[in-house]
Amino acid sequence: MTARTSYIASQALRYSISLFIIVTLIFLIPRMMPGDPFISLLGEEVYYRSPELVAELKAQFGLDRPLPEQYISYLQNLVQGNFGYSFHYSQPVWDVIAYKMKWTVVLLIPSVILGAILGIVMGAAAGWLRGSGMDTGITSLFLFLYSMPHYWLAMLFVLVFAFYLGLFPLSGITGGGLEGLEKLRDVLWHMTLPVSVLTLFGAAYNYFIMRGSVIQVSGEGFVLTARAKGLREWEVLFRHVLRNAMLPLVTVIALDFGFMVSGALLVEIVFSWGGMGTLVYDAVLARDYPLLHGSFLVIAICVLAANFMADVMYAVLDPRIRGGEIE
Amino acid sequence: MSEFASRLLSKFEFPWIELKRLSLPVLIGLLLLALFLNLAVFAPLIAPYDPWEPGKPFLPPVAAHPFGTNDIGQDIFSELVYGTRISLFVGFFAAFVSVVIGTLVGLFSGYLRGAADEALMGATDIVLIIPSLPLMIILAAHTSPSIWNIIVVIGALWWTSTARVVRSRVLQLREMPFVESARGLGAGDVYIVFCHILPNTLQVILAKFILAVAGAMLTEASLSFLGLGDPLQKSWGMMLNYAFSRGGFINGYWWWYLPPGICISLAVLSFVLIGFGLEELDRRELNASKL
Repeated sequence: MTARTSYIASQALRYSISLFIIVTLIFLIPRMMPGDPFISLLGEEVYYRSPELVAELKAQFGLDRPLPEQYISYLQNLVQGNFGYSFHYSQPVWDVIAYKMKWTVVLLIPSVILGAILGIVMGAAAGWLRGSGMDTGITSLFLFLYSMPHYWLAMLFVLVFAFYLGLFPLSGITGGGLEGLEKLRDVLWHMTLPVSVLTLFGAAYNYFIMRGSVIQVSGEGFVLTARAKGLREWEVLFRHVLRNAMLPLVTVIALDFGFMVSGALLVEIVFSWGGMGTLVYDAVLARDYPLLHGSFLVIAICVLAANFMADVMYAVLDPRIRGGEIE
Repeated sequence: MSEFASRLLSKFEFPWIELKRLSLPVLIGLLLLALFLNLAVFAPLIAPYDPWEPGKPFLPPVAAHPFGTNDIGQDIFSELVYGTRISLFVGFFAAFVSVVIGTLVGLFSGYLRGAADEALMGATDIVLIIPSLPLMIILAAHTSPSIWNIIVVIGALWWTSTARVVRSRVLQLREMPFVESARGLGAGDVYIVFCHILPNTLQVILAKFILAVAGAMLTEASLSFLGLGDPLQKSWGMMLNYAFSRGGFINGYWWWYLPPGICISLAVLSFVLIGFGLEELDRRELNASKL
């Protein structure tokens, strides 16, 4: 086995353990809480309907059986794609999530890509011209962005760009009643503000890592060599500094994905964007626990998958792993 | 016991930093922090009203109410001043919990190495990869809403970066001659870890603590915004939640939701500036000691 495959295998093992722990946590948390775990498992709405229904559901979901047995049937259900039933939506949890998730993905993908590009370009420029007026200016701006609650910046954007300037809609995904290209244009118009907010946060996050990475690489011996042999500044930057500084960013952008998902959840709520964020918000308000657990599981699986893909990519890209030896 | 305790205390020289070595960003951070600490301590003197006292609702900013009033007529400026206490309290305590956990994990994993190290770092990697906000939402949704639960939930999930930094520092320290001489003199592992290694990691722990306060304040604001905050403790995040869910946002009453957001951003910024400054200082000292 080469170093690369063993590296990927060890990462796969690590992610499998993480997934197993997440699944087990979702099983244990509601059962460890004080009070009747039944409330935590089926949601508050059902509990107060009727005692007969409660008893019937308990038997149906096997909640009257011992814990190990429950755990096994819980795992079996998950493998079959059965995430439970949302009484708030009167639908299986998976059906609700599958519909909402695509709208979150629609917001996330452009934000992650644009945020990465903006952060990398600005970070590289600021790191290369470290200490210049531009570096100080952009760094201060991104520091301030970094310190803001995501959803509050979203509220600010709505106030300025939608409420006062009227350039963009206040909320929602689409005005409705449109088809084809018209609908696409309308959705794009509606997503401009939320995507801008998320892009700025993604950029702020990548900016500091890229800037630090460029500063660190600039101090290395090979940069001095490159200068000494008479290369122009831009040649040093593009051929030697950036190629080395970009590498850690592959993993960072993936880790960033988890951070962006959390941001998207909150920003969606402000824009009443009907994705996972508004779903989680409604589930919290209605204390619809099966829906909350299902949402968490799906989000966690997406984040783990993104990180695993990044690790594989890293192993392919980094010659130090590719060539056989790690480091 | 008392001898052990006094010896332990004598080893701790707190990293007091000379003022003239501070950079401008750190000074700005310290000034902002001083401002908010004053607001928190002297809240009863600064706030013109009791933040819970109802009055005329939905007033825009007027002379008597500089930031207007909310949906039940409580003075927003007074809410803001008292909110400083809650937000800083949650930030400090959650950061304290996270730094204690992170430091212990990092110390033992770096000092013991081997299987213990692998187990502890494996656990750290796993916690790092679980999306923390969604997990915190679930934990907070299952527990009764109180600031103590929020503190524990944030602290229990925010310790990973402290653990990693402390571990890498301990790995360097444990090979140093003074640790070896202590071991040669017959000192036990626990004594070496707490009396020789811990005091030398304090500066980096302090930087992590301050950054953790910033992270904890932002997380508290997010959880409160989602309606998982403590309804009896009006933090800045709870104010934003009320402004959002009770019509302040829909109606464009900016004086209701801009001030708490500005306060959160500035307070977090002050901790970020100080924390980054301390980390930078530490890096420079480390480089200097290498030469």
